[in-house]
Amino acid sequence: MAAAAGSDMFDEIVMAEERFHGEGYQEGYAEGSHVGVVEGRRYGSLHGAKIGSEIGCYLGFALTWQCLLQNCTDEKNSKKIKALDSLIGMIQKFPYEDPTYDKLQEDLEKIRGKFKQVCSMLNIQSDFRMGTERSSLTF
Amino acid sequence: GRGLGGARFGWGLVWVGRGLGRGGACRSVPVSPGAGWSCRAVLGEGHQRTVRRVAWSPCGSFLASASFDATTCIWKRQEDGFECVTTLEGHENEVKSVAWAPSGTLLATCSRDKSVWVWEVDEEEEYECVSVLNSHTQDVKHVVWHPNQELLASASYDDTVKLYQEEEDDWVCCATLEGHESTVWSVAFDRSGERLASCSDDKTVRIWRRYEPGNQEGVSCSGNDPTWKCICTLSGYHSRTIYDVSWCHLTGALATACGDDAIRVFEESASSEPHQPTFVLAAHCCCCVGTGTLHCSASVRRTSVEAEPSRKNRPRVSFSRHMSLMARAVLPVSFLE
Repeated sequence: MAAAAGSDMFDEIVMAEERFHGEGYQEGYAEGSHVGVVEGRRYGSLHGAKIGSEIGCYLGFALTWQCLLQNCTDEKNSKKIKALDSLIGMIQKFPYEDPTYDKLQEDLEKIRGKFKQVCSMLNIQSDFRMGTERSSLTF
Repeated sequence: GRGLGGARFGWGLVWVGRGLGRGGACRSVPVSPGAGWSCRAVLGEGHQRTVRRVAWSPCGSFLASASFDATTCIWKRQEDGFECVTTLEGHENEVKSVAWAPSGTLLATCSRDKSVWVWEVDEEEEYECVSVLNSHTQDVKHVVWHPNQELLASASYDDTVKLYQEEEDDWVCCATLEGHESTVWSVAFDRSGERLASCSDDKTVRIWRRYEPGNQEGVSCSGNDPTWKCICTLSGYHSRTIYDVSWCHLTGALATACGDDAIRVFEESASSEPHQPTFVLAAHCCCCVGTGTLHCSASVRRTSVEAEPSRKNRPRVSFSRHMSLMARAVLPVSFLE
């Protein structure tokens, strides 16, 4: 009995450092995870907003031009209208609610490419830079 | 220097019949037809920065020049010279290459902005962008068209070659060729278009072959799309980055331009098999650098190599249509087929 109690006590002292190390690690890990989640959420929110802002901009731009060209029926404009329709279609199909969509980046790049093509056809600078103004639209 | 004077150093050289068109770091595009290589025209005031590549249209009436100023100019041959008829804008930064499709109605450009643009030209000589392809993840160095189909290939700093074609009214990337361990600088199709050669900073040349679904060699394809498989790697021949490769459509020889200032010509060996080809080094010539002396001759059948002193460590190589001259340049080259 005395031997058992004795070994426990020494055990506690001898293993103290290792135990504190372990407890400290657990505490640190928990705190780090928590901070990480907060930071991640903030980053995700910002990044999501950026993408939303970019796509929203393209959509507004495309819908406006679709409206402006709706009464033009000549062949020249039909290609522009087709490209605009294609851009709007791509944006509307884009899955906003699913950040784990495996083709997210790929589809985003396709939308950007189509937007640039539309700008080229409409003779508009894709960064909406007008004249020699320094500032241009970036996301 | 002999015939190609006027600029600090050249970036591009193209053949048209017996004439040469050239891009240069001095921003203008001298055009020099004639056996004596005298400068017949200087296409100035088109670009604000280095002209990186030039390409003749299949009909020979137009010259496209791609520049670091992010634009591509289209020059039309007139009686008394050339006139810039259109400037293609859209790329965000340096345009690295431009190429005409064999049909003459399509043009492709690629840039450091990682994108490849496909343009269409109609009978009224109006150019329109039909696609902006963002498949590469890094700087795109070179674009080239298939010899008889509307299939486009691009080479990039992201170590891959990508192929594009039109599917349902839109251009898509239909294949990605992975295997090189570093930047792919250039690609060239063979005469049939069934094989593609790519050269890289990893000092190898790779030969790829197209396999259709249901092929007899058992190469797996996904869906209805053909697959491109690397069937040969030429390694150990080059000691530096290989900047350009050209596949002669008359003899099937492969020429490479390397950063060690040498041109090498490879020929397919007699025992070469279609699905496992072997190439042998048929000619190797080194050029003297910097002193301005011009010498270099190698001959492969009826081809002889002519060289210009290399002031920029980026040699290029190409076969002329008539096989009477293969120009070696410090310059990218292309030729009128």
